[in-house]
Amino acid sequence: MTLTAAPPRAVGSPSGSLLEVRNLRIEFPTRRGTLVAVDDISFAIGPGEVLGVVGESGAGKSLTGAAIIGLLEPPGRIAGGEILLAGRRIDNLPYDAMRRIRGREIGAIFQDPLTSLNPLYTVGDQLIETITTHLDLSAGKARTRAIELLASTGIPAPDRRIDHYPHQFSGGMRQRVVIALALAAEPKLLIADEPTTALDVSIQAQIISLLKKLCRDHGTAVMLVTHDMGVIAETADRVAVMYAGRIAEIGPVSDVIHRPQHPYTVGLMGSIPTFGHEKERLTQINGSMPRLTAIPSGCAFHPRCVHAFDRCPRERPGLLPAGSSMAACWLHDPASARRAAPQASAVSA
Amino acid sequence: MSAVLRENTSTTWETAAQDVIVRAENIAKYFDVSPPWLNRVLERQQRAILHAVDGVSFEIKRGETLSLVGESGCGKSTVARLLVGLYTPTHGRINFFGRDLREMNSARGRGLRQKLQMIFQDPYASLNPRWRVADIIAEPLNAHGLMKDKHQVTARVDELLQQVRLAPADKTKYPHQFSGGQRQRLSIARALATKPEFLVCDEPTSALDVSVQAQVLNLMKDLQREMGLTYLFISHNLAVVHHISDRVGVMYLGKIVELASRTTLFNTPRHPYTRMLLDAIPDLEMSGRARTPVAGEVPNPLNPPSGCTFNPRCPYANDRCRVEVPLLKLYQHAGGETQAACHGVEEGRI
Repeated sequence: MTLTAAPPRAVGSPSGSLLEVRNLRIEFPTRRGTLVAVDDISFAIGPGEVLGVVGESGAGKSLTGAAIIGLLEPPGRIAGGEILLAGRRIDNLPYDAMRRIRGREIGAIFQDPLTSLNPLYTVGDQLIETITTHLDLSAGKARTRAIELLASTGIPAPDRRIDHYPHQFSGGMRQRVVIALALAAEPKLLIADEPTTALDVSIQAQIISLLKKLCRDHGTAVMLVTHDMGVIAETADRVAVMYAGRIAEIGPVSDVIHRPQHPYTVGLMGSIPTFGHEKERLTQINGSMPRLTAIPSGCAFHPRCVHAFDRCPRERPGLLPAGSSMAACWLHDPASARRAAPQASAVSA
Repeated sequence: MSAVLRENTSTTWETAAQDVIVRAENIAKYFDVSPPWLNRVLERQQRAILHAVDGVSFEIKRGETLSLVGESGCGKSTVARLLVGLYTPTHGRINFFGRDLREMNSARGRGLRQKLQMIFQDPYASLNPRWRVADIIAEPLNAHGLMKDKHQVTARVDELLQQVRLAPADKTKYPHQFSGGQRQRLSIARALATKPEFLVCDEPTSALDVSVQAQVLNLMKDLQREMGLTYLFISHNLAVVHHISDRVGVMYLGKIVELASRTTLFNTPRHPYTRMLLDAIPDLEMSGRARTPVAGEVPNPLNPPSGCTFNPRCPYANDRCRVEVPLLKLYQHAGGETQAACHGVEEGRI
């Protein structure tokens, strides 16, 4: 049993993964020393699979997505590990080679649909540019394809709307255009970073069901980064919970939601208000996420954890098998088996 | 059984029935968003009046939490700002303890302003970054001239910090030294400084992460119990509203379309818009219930549809809905009593 390092083969994924991230580490050099924003994480996404990545602000989930599409903003840099797309390493590719992969093999959707579209070009220009860059089509055929794409995302009167500018669309319609753009070259992997956060709940439901439908039709795998557990529950097959730049727990979505194994996941699930049952008080995790300048030693969650024991501040736990998931928690180490595994009831309310 | 129930609830229920502390009567707020005069003359553009809030009435009883929910642009934040006097209503009246809110700016109304305070959405924008915590929290005390003695002020600041579960030692720090959740506690401490009875909370947790949101919601409930506070809670998050409210009002394009007690509204929603909103919530329980996306989008509030403003998105709309504006009426039904503004509910079609 490996204790300190995550197993090199990422967890719970079918072999022949589409995307594989091994021991990824992202650093930000600053005047006051190096900040480690993502610390040694490994996971994989199979073809057509939807992996949800959840966590609170500053957990490193968006950075992980940015690193995969090669859009990490300097001075942030990949300081270790590797990223493989269909078995080919992509984290060390030159700029031009990465440019050809972006859009063609990996599509991206970002939170704010207004900033991901160029306000000076019509949506048609932007779609046709993407299509002709990646696919061998004439301008006329590309326009036909652009109209088809807009129609498939449910935009009414696409042959007219294609000549409109982004500001002439509402927020929900803009996000549909962004989805059409991301899927224009039929990528095998889609990185969706908070795709519904800027939208109202009624529009959010429309966008999520559209995203699910299109990805199922095209067999596109999705890495869905969000802080909204409800969106994950509906959409994802597996989910990775991130905390302070590390994966706290990863497993099938229903197991992580109904039988969370890591004390942080237990607290996180309890703190979400639900309709199912009346609760006078929500479970609360005291304290807040550590700043990157002061990540606690050993397990980063130990100062907030009600189950922490002497080993937690000393050694960092790797991902250990826990139920049908994997959790980075010493409670799941056979050596500390006499301690009870955390349950929802064990966390003080 | 019923006797026991009655005894337990009589203190809150029977006194509350008479004790309405806030009453909004048909309030409206219109904003003039017309293009500049020259454009109107040269380009023949029309004047444009935005009806942000258009005839909203409700009452809030002492010690209860009324929530207003709705999508962006439905006017819920405008209602909040009207209630604390940050906007003056275009028409309609707001009564606070039986006195008109317009008195607030007169000498007689000073006492009124101390009794209502507001908590804002963004804890990063609502605290002055160049002031120390002690000055931020003491500002309302100084503004109202409540305490002259410096030691008294310091003691009150310490007490307030402890009430929001922070340490008195934090008072020498600056806002940037706190996390988002701690800052929102500072906002709450500042709002509590004048011992208010009524707090208007405009999306107090929507800028926070879920675990921190839970801390703030728990704190707000504890404070309500300890001090008998009354809340108007504005949110777009139905799960949060379900957790914190006693009564809930659903807003759509400047009007309340449904108003009922929390259990009635969530168990037996009457208005088609409320039903759609509830159906659209992501299901954490994964009970296999298919989520029904709401069709269409919120129309442009500058040019709202005629009749019931929800009719273009409503599956039950008929000719009457497209012409006649429905009024908010009280209905008794199996699930309790509900105020709803819907012709379909009135005619028994829905």
